[in-house]
Amino acid sequence: MIRSKSIKKTILGIPVFIVLTILALMVIVPLLWLILSAFKNEKEILSYPPTFIPKGLTLTNFAATAKRIKIITYIKNSVIYAGVTTFLAVIVNSMAGYAYARKKFKGKGAFFLITLATMMVPFQVIMVPLFLVVYKLGMYNNYLGLIIPRIAVAGSIFMMRAAFANLPVELEDAARIDGLSEFGIFWRIMLPQVKSSVICLTILSINGSWNDLLWPMIVASDTHMRTLANGLALFVGQNSIQYGASFAGALISLLPMLVLYILGQKYFVEGMASSGLKS
Amino acid sequence: MSNFAQEFVDAGWEQKCSQPLRKDDQMNKKSIGKLFGYFQSAEGSAYIFLLPSIILLLMFNIIPLLMAFGLSFFDVPMTLDSAKFIGIENFRDAFSDSRFINSLKVTAIFTAIEVPVQVFGAMIVAAFIAKNDLKNKFFRAIYFLPVICSATAIGIMWKMILHSNVGFFTYALSTMGLGRINFFNDVHLTIFTVAFISIWRSFGISAIIYVTAIQNVNSSLYEAAKMDGAGSLMQFLNVTVPSIRPTFWFILMTRFAGSLQIFDIVFMTTNGGPNYTTESTVTYVYSRAFSSGSQMGYASTLSVILFVVIMIVTVIMNKRMNAEE
Repeated sequence: MIRSKSIKKTILGIPVFIVLTILALMVIVPLLWLILSAFKNEKEILSYPPTFIPKGLTLTNFAATAKRIKIITYIKNSVIYAGVTTFLAVIVNSMAGYAYARKKFKGKGAFFLITLATMMVPFQVIMVPLFLVVYKLGMYNNYLGLIIPRIAVAGSIFMMRAAFANLPVELEDAARIDGLSEFGIFWRIMLPQVKSSVICLTILSINGSWNDLLWPMIVASDTHMRTLANGLALFVGQNSIQYGASFAGALISLLPMLVLYILGQKYFVEGMASSGLKS
Repeated sequence: MSNFAQEFVDAGWEQKCSQPLRKDDQMNKKSIGKLFGYFQSAEGSAYIFLLPSIILLLMFNIIPLLMAFGLSFFDVPMTLDSAKFIGIENFRDAFSDSRFINSLKVTAIFTAIEVPVQVFGAMIVAAFIAKNDLKNKFFRAIYFLPVICSATAIGIMWKMILHSNVGFFTYALSTMGLGRINFFNDVHLTIFTVAFISIWRSFGISAIIYVTAIQNVNSSLYEAAKMDGAGSLMQFLNVTVPSIRPTFWFILMTRFAGSLQIFDIVFMTTNGGPNYTTESTVTYVYSRAFSSGSQMGYASTLSVILFVVIMIVTVIMNKRMNAEE
C-alpha cells in the first residue's frame, strides 16, 4: 500500500518535474544567451544560423557602447537616482510608518486615508500632470525632479508600519524614561529593531529605481541626465542599432541587480510578497 | 556697577520700564516653547514624523490626480503658456478617436491573455514548488530572476532572440519545420509575443506570493483531508484553493490593474506596432503627451478615462470578494 502510493507519487512527479524544468529553462536560457552574446562580435551576432556559445570572446561591444552612448554618465545618473532616492525613501517612509504604527494623534484617520488613497492611483494615470508639476517647479531635467517625486511611497509606508506595529511597547517606554527625544527613540531604538524590513525596503527601492524606465524618460530626457534604463532604451529605439553594443549595455544594467539578488534573495522575495507588487 | 544695578532693581525701575515688553516677550516665548514642546511630545511628534511623506504625497500624487481631472477640460500645450477651457470636448474627441478606441481594445486583449496565466498558471506552479526542499528552492530562485531585471534589458534580449532573421528561438523553430516566424511584425501574432514577454517578466512575483500563501495554510487541514483519503489533487482543490482565496483576489486585482497599465515592454519591443496592433492605452497617452504634439490636456483626458476603467474594475472585484467572505 505504502509502496504503491510512493510509486504513484514518483510517476506523477516526473511530468511535473519536466514541466518545472522547462519553465526554468525558459527563464535561464534567454538570460544566458544575452550574457554570452554580449561577448560575441557583431558579425557573429548577425550570423545565420545563430550561435549560442560564442566562438571567440571579445570585449569590443563594451568599447562600442562607450563610444556610441555616454554610458559612464548614464551609470552615474542611475547610481545617483537609485542611491539618493533609496536613502531618502527609507528615512521618510520609515518615519511615516512609525507614526502610523505607534502614535495616537488627532487627524490620524485623515492622514492615513490620504496615504491609502495614493496607493489606488496608478503612476501611469498621473504621469502627465506630474510632469507639469515638476516642470513648473523648475525641476525638469535635473536630479531634483528625478528623485523627489519618487521618495514617498504608500506601499513602503504600510510595509514599515506593519514592521513597527509588532514591537513591544516597553521598548519605547524604557527609552522615554532614559530621556531620549522622540526622534532619538525612533532612530536609535526602534529603527534598528526592524532592520530586516529596512533592508527589504532598501533592496526593493534600489531595484525599482535602477530599472525604472517611464519616469526617467519623461523627466530626464537630456543626454546628460539619462539613466542607464532610459538611455539604453532610447539608444535601442534608434534605427541604426548596434546589437553588440546594446547587449553589452543590457548586461551592464543587469549585473548589479543580479549581484543584489544573489546577496539578498530572501529580502527580495519577502519584500515583494509582503508589500504587494509593482507594475 | 552691580550696586547700581541693585539700586535700579530696588527702585522698581526695571520692572516699571520694561514690564509691557517683557510680558509680551514672555508670552511669545511661552507659546512658542509650548508649541515646540508639543511637537517634541509623544503625541505631537507624530506630525513631524508624518510631515515629509504627507507633503510629498500631496504634491506628487494627490495634486497631480486632481490636476488630471482638471486638465482634461483644457487644451494645454507642453510649454504651459496657455490653457484654454474647452469643456468636455476632449472627452468627445476621445470617444471618436479611433486610435484611442483601438488602444483600449489592445489593452483589453493584453489583460485577457495575461491575467488568467498569472492568476491560475502561477497558482498551479506555486502548488508544485511550495514545499521547502532544495529542488523547489532552486526553481523558485530561477522563476523570480526576471522580476529583478529591467524592462530595457528584457526588451533588448527578447527582440533579438525572436528576431525574424537571426533570432536564436526563431532559428530553433525553423529547424523544427515551422518556418521563420515574424514575431514582432505580424498584425495577428505580435500582441501575443508582447503579452508573453510581459508574463515572462512578472510570472515570478505571482508564483512567489502564492507560494508564501500556500506555506501559511494550516497543515492540520491537510492531515484531516489525508485521513479522509483525499489524494494530492483533491487536497489542492479542497484545502489549498479555498485557503488561499484572499491571495487569489489580491493577485487578480493587482494583475488586472497592472495589465491595464502595460507600457514598458510595449515601448521596448514594438512601440505599438505593427500598425498599432500592440499600442496599449498608456503607450498612446505617452506618445500623445510627450512625443507628438504634446497635447497635455488631451493626454490627461485619456488618463482619466483609463483611471475610471481601472477603478470600476477594482470596485466590482472588491464587491465580489467581500460578498464571498
